[in-house]
Amino acid sequence: MTQVALSTTDIAKTFNLGFLGALRPFKFLAQRMQLKGIAHSVEAVKSISLEVNAGEIFGFLGPNGAGKTTTIKMLMGLVHPTRGTGTLLGAPLGDRAARARLGFLPEHPYFYEHLKPLEFLDFYGRLFRMTARERKQRAEYLVDRVGLRHAVDRPLRKYSKGMIQRIGIAQALINEPDLVVFDEPMSGLDPMGRKDVRDIIFELREKGTTVFLSSHILQDVEMICDRVAIVVDGRIRSEGALEDLLEEPIQRYEVVFTGLDNAALEVVGALAAETRAVAGRHTFTVETDRDLDAFVRVAQDAGGRIVSATPIRQSLEALFVAEATRAEDA
Amino acid sequence: MIPTLTIARNTFREAVRNRIFAASIFFALAMLGLVLAVSSASLHEEVRLMKDVGLFLISISAVFIAIFTGVTLVYKELERKTIYTVMPKPIYRAQFLAGKYLGLAMTMFVLVLTMGAVLFAMLQLVDGDPGVEMVQAFWLVYVEVLIVMAVALVFSSFSTPFLSGLLTLGTFVCGRFVDVLLNLRLGEADERTPLTETISGVVRFIAQVTPDLSIYNVTPHVVYGHPLSADFVIQASLTGLAYIGIGFVISAILFARRDFV
Repeated sequence: MTQVALSTTDIAKTFNLGFLGALRPFKFLAQRMQLKGIAHSVEAVKSISLEVNAGEIFGFLGPNGAGKTTTIKMLMGLVHPTRGTGTLLGAPLGDRAARARLGFLPEHPYFYEHLKPLEFLDFYGRLFRMTARERKQRAEYLVDRVGLRHAVDRPLRKYSKGMIQRIGIAQALINEPDLVVFDEPMSGLDPMGRKDVRDIIFELREKGTTVFLSSHILQDVEMICDRVAIVVDGRIRSEGALEDLLEEPIQRYEVVFTGLDNAALEVVGALAAETRAVAGRHTFTVETDRDLDAFVRVAQDAGGRIVSATPIRQSLEALFVAEATRAEDA
Repeated sequence: MIPTLTIARNTFREAVRNRIFAASIFFALAMLGLVLAVSSASLHEEVRLMKDVGLFLISISAVFIAIFTGVTLVYKELERKTIYTVMPKPIYRAQFLAGKYLGLAMTMFVLVLTMGAVLFAMLQLVDGDPGVEMVQAFWLVYVEVLIVMAVALVFSSFSTPFLSGLLTLGTFVCGRFVDVLLNLRLGEADERTPLTETISGVVRFIAQVTPDLSIYNVTPHVVYGHPLSADFVIQASLTGLAYIGIGFVISAILFARRDFV
């Protein structure tokens, strides 16, 4: 049976704003004032239920303001859910033994700037009650692994955004966690840095570590995630294995021909949904495979030579945009 | 305990590596230098003046630095989002708060110790023996600073640094004049109105719930060379510890319910 590394059940968060926000610690009073219409609130997360299996890489996607970071903060114990429950590594949210097996990189991380990288990693190692020897070994390994050996004598205040992201990833891995939560791990990284992070995530999967990551860089998500959930407006709109979500029927074909004169183009173009011409080649879009057969026959009869015919399937980006738009319409 | 000490160590290290801390010490020492200059100009009262103004300056500068750093202690962690990577670790929120408080307490200890050592040395040069009451006074200044820090921690648990600073400063001033406030009755007996009675009542209530900080101001004993009894110092320290404990529990309760957004 597959073990669940992370789960949420109908988890939700409503933030009280303005004057009401100052009364947050006094829940009863805040609720009464809200009833009287003195202040207002925002539902950042409406209801999210999901399960992440042990050992998988799970992508948590959504447009800005969808509730991804708030959900992650609830999982990390930074924000109290208004409703619902969750588990981390089989234990309820907030369980300290489970947190000892957890690694976390927040979005746009800021760290103690007065520390140098080895001091910084030592600090986090101490919070995990690691021995001095373990802390030293692990910190030295991670500094090399994230490519910061050359900057080991510099305090973090002198680090660039990309270097901060790298040291942030190192702190998330200091305790050799069983579950890692990355909020936008590729943010601020150049293509080489993104590749390094992808490699680290693949390494983690090989070791059996579960990775839960949110990212806006869909190309990376498509490359590394086993399963994804798309969150829009505080709810999950789509969830599943990438191959299932993207295994839609072929949506259309793109056919490229050369050698078509103007008269032939007029005949052939009438059969295509869209026509584009680039450097003597003509690219036609046709909707179905039956249209494709007819189109190719007519184009060849008109003197055209076929260069390629490509079936177009739905990409993660298209799915993402479709889900986000669907939610907006609703 | 380990996470608390780890956070305390980091807070202390951050403060010591901060230029503002060095500037604070430099400023305080410069003020003490000024005390030396002013007191040497007074006839036959150099030692008294030096003790009086020196203790006042140490106390006031330490309290102001405590208020400023105390109200921003947790706020800075939230503002810079450093708390996001610390709280998901296997620690309790109260341990984090205790670590931050302890770190600042260590920092303030260094500050009071440095200023105290300089004043002590200056007095030794002028007078020969500053007396045990001077050491007792330094200790009580430090206890008062710890109480003010705990008050700052309570206010900063639910309000902005600016408001927390004002409220803590207000508490400090009220605390220094608790006796006066407790006996306050506005107007002459025949002129009192319900309004003046209400205001007097509110002021007396505030005085009752405010830590009595007047017991930590022992300048007259020091100036006139009267050592304090060990019982008094111990009692004042234990009272301070109780105030700090109450402040910490209130802060921890508020902090535990807080969302880090």
